[in-house]
Amino acid sequence: METTVIGKGLPKVDAWAKVKGNIVYADDFTLPGMLYAKVLRSKYPAARILAIDTSKAEALPGVQAVLTAKDVPNNNLRAKFGQSTDVGAQFEGLYRVLAEGKVRFMGEAVALVAAESLKVAEEALDLIEVDYEPLPGVFDPEEALQPGAYPVGENESNVVSRFKVRKGDVEAGFAAADVIIENTYRVPFVDHAYLEPESGVAWLDEDGVINIRVSTQVIEHFRTVAEVLGLPQNRVRVIGTWLGGGFGGKEDITVESFLALLTWKTGRPVKLTYTREESILAHSKRHAYVMKYKTGATRDGRLVALEAELISDAGAYTYLTPWVLLYSTVNATGPYDIPNVKVDTVAVLTNNPFGSANRGFGAIQPNVAYESQMDELARVLGMDPLTIRQKNCLRQGGSLATGFTFDRYVAVADVAEKAWQALGPVQENEDKNIRLGRGLAVGLMSYGRLTFLHDSSRSYVKLELDGSAVIRCGVPDLGGGQAQSLCQIVAEELGIPLEKIKIYIADTALTPLAGTTTATRQLYMSGNATLKAARELKERLLTKAAAMLGVRVAYLKIANEGIESTVDPQQRISLKEVINACATEGIELFCEAQFNAPFTEVPASEVISGRTFADFTFGAHAVEVAVDVETGAVEVRKLVACYDVGKAINVLNVEGQLEGGAIYCLGYALMEELAVEQGRIKTPSFSEYLIPTSADVPDVETILIESGAGLGPYGAKGVGEPACNSIAPAILNAIRDAVGVRVTSLPATPEKIALALRKEQ
Amino acid sequence: MSSFAYAVPKTKDEALALLNELGPGGRVVAGCTNILPDIRAKKITACTLVDISRLAELKGINVRGEKVTIGSLTTINELLHSEIVANHGQVLWQAGQRFADPLVRNRATIGGNLANASPAADGVVPLLALDARVMVASLAGEREIPVDAFFTGPGKSVLQPNELITGVSFAKTTTMKSAFIKFGLRKAMAISLASIGLVVGLKGDKVDQVRIALGALAPTPLRARQTESYLAGNTLTPAVVARAQEIVRTEVKPISDVRASQEYRLHLTGVLLKRAFEAALA
Amino acid sequence: MELQKEITITVQVNGRPVTAVVAPEESLLEFVRNRAGVTDVKCGCNKGDCGTCTLVLEGQPVKSCLVLAAQANNKEVWTVRGMAADPLMQALQESFATHGAVQCGFCTPGMLVAARSFLAHHQQPDREAIKEALSGNLCRCTGYKKIVDAVAAVAASQASARD
Repeated sequence: METTVIGKGLPKVDAWAKVKGNIVYADDFTLPGMLYAKVLRSKYPAARILAIDTSKAEALPGVQAVLTAKDVPNNNLRAKFGQSTDVGAQFEGLYRVLAEGKVRFMGEAVALVAAESLKVAEEALDLIEVDYEPLPGVFDPEEALQPGAYPVGENESNVVSRFKVRKGDVEAGFAAADVIIENTYRVPFVDHAYLEPESGVAWLDEDGVINIRVSTQVIEHFRTVAEVLGLPQNRVRVIGTWLGGGFGGKEDITVESFLALLTWKTGRPVKLTYTREESILAHSKRHAYVMKYKTGATRDGRLVALEAELISDAGAYTYLTPWVLLYSTVNATGPYDIPNVKVDTVAVLTNNPFGSANRGFGAIQPNVAYESQMDELARVLGMDPLTIRQKNCLRQGGSLATGFTFDRYVAVADVAEKAWQALGPVQENEDKNIRLGRGLAVGLMSYGRLTFLHDSSRSYVKLELDGSAVIRCGVPDLGGGQAQSLCQIVAEELGIPLEKIKIYIADTALTPLAGTTTATRQLYMSGNATLKAARELKERLLTKAAAMLGVRVAYLKIANEGIESTVDPQQRISLKEVINACATEGIELFCEAQFNAPFTEVPASEVISGRTFADFTFGAHAVEVAVDVETGAVEVRKLVACYDVGKAINVLNVEGQLEGGAIYCLGYALMEELAVEQGRIKTPSFSEYLIPTSADVPDVETILIESGAGLGPYGAKGVGEPACNSIAPAILNAIRDAVGVRVTSLPATPEKIALALRKEQ
Repeated sequence: MSSFAYAVPKTKDEALALLNELGPGGRVVAGCTNILPDIRAKKITACTLVDISRLAELKGINVRGEKVTIGSLTTINELLHSEIVANHGQVLWQAGQRFADPLVRNRATIGGNLANASPAADGVVPLLALDARVMVASLAGEREIPVDAFFTGPGKSVLQPNELITGVSFAKTTTMKSAFIKFGLRKAMAISLASIGLVVGLKGDKVDQVRIALGALAPTPLRARQTESYLAGNTLTPAVVARAQEIVRTEVKPISDVRASQEYRLHLTGVLLKRAFEAALA
Repeated sequence: MELQKEITITVQVNGRPVTAVVAPEESLLEFVRNRAGVTDVKCGCNKGDCGTCTLVLEGQPVKSCLVLAAQANNKEVWTVRGMAADPLMQALQESFATHGAVQCGFCTPGMLVAARSFLAHHQQPDREAIKEALSGNLCRCTGYKKIVDAVAAVAASQASARD
C-alpha cells in the first residue's frame, strides 16, 4: 500500500511542547486555594493497627483534614483495571484504600492529611499516633506457601492464583530425551523508575463533580474512585496528563482515591505528589520469581519435553498478579514447538512490596529462564544458538502448548537470524582482562489485553469547516507516541497535513473512553477505532465528491487536502469544498467508532487452554559483551534488536520503543534490583536503586521487519512491551559465552560473576 | 518557622567568628551536594547554615615552589580545568574525571568532600595519595592536618565545629606516575565500591617512593602503609605484585552492604592495586 | 552577624527578577518551580540522582535540587523556557524533536540544558564524549541513542558551519 504519512519518522505532536518545556505535567499544575496532601505510611511490613489518634494532627494550625480508614465510605473494593466486564473473583483482588486491621507491607497508606502548605502537612504526619502491634510476617514466597504459614491477609490463603498447562506426556518426553537441562532461576523485584513520581490535583467543580487531573495510564479508574466515595460514576472525572513515564507502574490507582477523599472532605482543591522515596515505597514492582525449569531434547537438537514450575512473589496485595501470572503461564514455553509440556505456576502473598504490572507483564520472567535453557542445551549439544532456535521455533500454523494456533506469519526464525547476523564479524580483543562473548535470545509477547476482558476502544474524528480535523480519544500518552499514531492515521486516511489535526486525549468527560494505555494495546485498539472512524468519514467525503465531480468513488482518491480522480488528476476538488457541501446538506462530518478485540470466556479452570490473547509480537536480541575476568564487570558493546513490527506507523517511535525497551531491561539484566530484607526496602532511592545512565549503554541497533501480519491498523503489531523481552537472557547467554559462567539469578552483578570465576579457579 | 537559620559571612574571619559562636549548631555549606539530601532525609533537623560559597579568599589553585595549594571552595570541575592540577597533582585530576557526574562536579568542592568524611569520597582518596595536608582555620589560628590523620570514622573527622577548612596543599608529583581507579556499579553517578589512588616514583626499575590510598574499603579512606613499605625498594615483578596484593588485603576492613559483600570488596582490593600500577606505569 | 530564619532573595530567573521570602533550607529547585512558577525544571528525585532539575546558574549547568535558594540571591538562572531565543538551544530543540529523542519528555528540559552547556564548550565531541557529558541526566524511555543522535547532529552542523 502506498502511504504518505504512515511509516514516516515524523516528530510527535507533543515533541515541540516538550522540548520547549511547555507541557504541564501533573505536578506542574496548581489551583488557587489549593491544599497540599501527604500520606502517612506504615513503619512495619506486618503489624496490627490497634489504634490511631489523629487529634494532635487535626489541632495543628493549617491542617484541613486528617483521614483514616474509618473515614472512607467504601474502603475495601475489588481492584479493577478499566475492564468493562466482570471477570470474577479469581482475577480481581482486594483494593484497600487505607490500611485497616492488619498492615501488610512497609509503606502501606495508613492516613491522609491535607493542609495549607506542604510543610504543615508534613508536620501533621509526625503528629498522627499509630499504635502498632508488630506481627511476624512472611517474606519468602516458598515459605508463604507452606501450611501454617503466617497469613498475609486476615484468614484467607496466601495463594493468589494457580495455573497449569498440560500437553502430551512429559514423563515419556523426558524418557525420550538424550539431553536434559535442569536449572532454577531467580529474578528480583524491580522498580519502574519512571522519572516523574506519582502526582495529581483534584477539585470540585460547580456541579459537585470531582475532577482529578492525574498522571495515570488508566483514566477508567474514575469508576473505582466513585465507588470509594459512594458516588455515581458520572460524578467523578479523570483528566489524564501527559505522563512522565509509566511502564505499568501507573496502571494501578496511585493518588486518585486519596485526592478525591480529601477534596470531597474539604471542598478545596488538593495536590498530592509523591517524593521519589515514597514512590519507590508505595507503588507496584515487577514480580520476583523463582523458576524451576527442566528441558529435554534429542541428540539432533529437537525439544521433546519442558517442565516448568514458577513461583511468583505477589507481595502484600493482589492487584494485577493473577493476570501477570497468566501471561507467565502461557509464555512459559517460549515460542517453541514442544510436544510434551507441563507448566505449573503459583502466585503467593507475602509481606513484601506488592507486585503488579511492569513493562513485559509476566512474559519477561519465564523468558529469562527458557532462553537460558535453550542456550545450555545448545552448548551440551554442540549447536550454535541460532540453529537450535530455528530448529524448534514456532512457525505459521504452529501452536502454543495452550493450543493457541498462529494463523499468521510467525517471525521467530527470521528475527533470530537477522539479529544474530547483524553482530558482524568478531573483533580482536586486545585487553588481557577482557573476554568477549555473544548471546542470542528470542521471545514472544502478546499485544492487546487478555481476550476474556472483552476489550474495546472508542475514538471520535471530526472535520472542521476550514478543513482541519479534531480527534478525541481517551488514550493516556506515556511518551510512546500514542497520540501521534492516531494523528498519522487520520492524516493518511483523510489527506490532511498533520499540523491541521488536533488531538484531545485522556479525559473521561470529554473524550470517548479508549481503554488503558497498558498491555501494548493502544495502537492496536485505539488505532483501529480511529482508523474505523476516519474511514467512515472518508467514505462520506468520497461519496459526496463523486457526486460533485461526476466520477465514481472507485476512481477517486483523497490526498493533499483534496479529492481527485485516479484517472485524470485534473478532475479535482478541494477537501474544504466537499466539507462545506456536506455541511450544507447536513451530512455528518464526525464519527465515533468502536473497535472490539476478539472476545473469549473467562478461564473456567486452572488448566489454561485455547485463545487467551488476540495476537503476539516476535522479536530477538543479539548482544556482544565484554566481561572483565577480574572484576566481573560486564559491558554490553553491541546490542541488536530485531522485531517483526507488522507495520511501522512512525518509524522513529517504533525504533524508540525498541531502543528504550532494550535498555530498560539491560538494567534488569545487569544492575537493577529492588533489594528487600524482611519486607524492608534496602534500595530506597535513586542513590541505591541504579538504572543505566548514558555512559552505561551501547547504541542499540534496530532492525524492523514489516510483515503486515499484525491485527493493528495497516497490519501493525504492538511493540512497547515486547521490546523489553529477550534482552536479559541474551546478555546472560553472552556472559556464559564469554567466561563460562551461567548466571541464574538477576541481576548479573560484577560480584556474582567475579566470585563464580574465582570459585572455578 | 524553619528550624534552620542561614548566614552569609562576608569574610573568612566573619565566618570563623560565627562558627565559634554557633559551636555544634553551625554547619558550613558551600556546594550543598551532600547537605541538602541529608536535610531532606531528616539526618539534619536543625542548624545554622553558614554559607561560605561567596568567600573568594577560599578559591583558587596556586603553586609556590614545590607546593601546590588549592582553596577549599575549588570545585571538582575547576580542578579538571586546572593545568596545575593536571601536571603536578595528576592523581587528583584523574579522580576528578570519575567524580559523581558532570553536573555535580560544577558544585561539589574539595573542601566539602573532605568535610563530609565519606569513606568512599572520590575527592579524598587522591589527596591521601598526594600526602596532602588539610589547612584548617579557627579564631585560635590556623593548623595543618595530614589528610591521613583527618578522618576518624564514617562521616567523622578531627574538624571541630568552630573550624573551617580553608584549603589543601601537597608537594608536586610532576615527575611521578599516578593512577586513580574507581570501581562502581555503573559508570556515572555511582558511589565507589572500592577505589584506589596511586602515586609512584621509580628509581631504575625499583620502586622509590610510593603512596597507595584506598577508598570505600574501611571506615575511612586509608593509606596502605604496609603495602607501601613492602614495595619500596622492590622491583615490580609479578611475584612482588602478587605479594603486595596479599598484604593490601590485610590492611583493609571492608563492610558488606546492599552494594557488595565484604568478600567481593576484598577481592577488588587486590585487583585494583595491580591495575593501578599497570595504569600508572603504562 | 545576622542569622536569618527567613531570607528575602531576588533571583533573575530567565531574565526576570523574582523576589521572595525563603526558608534557609529551601532549594533553588523549589524556588524556581514554586515561587517563580517556572515549571519546566522538574523534580524527579530531589536528591541529585536524576538530573531532571538541571538549570544554568552563573553560566554553569547544575542540579538545582542541590543548591540552596539563598545561594542564588542576586544571581542569574536560566532554564529551557528562558533560552527560547538562543540559537544553539533552538538547534538542539529541533534536533531532539526530529530525531525522536523525546518520549515522555520529563528528562528533556534538563537534558537540553546539559547538552547546550556541553556543546557551547566542545567543538567536535564524539558519541562517547556526549554520553559522558549527559551522564548526570537519567532518561528511562529512550535508551539514550536518539538523544545522543540529536546532540551529535547539532555538533556536526556546528562544525560544518565553522568550516
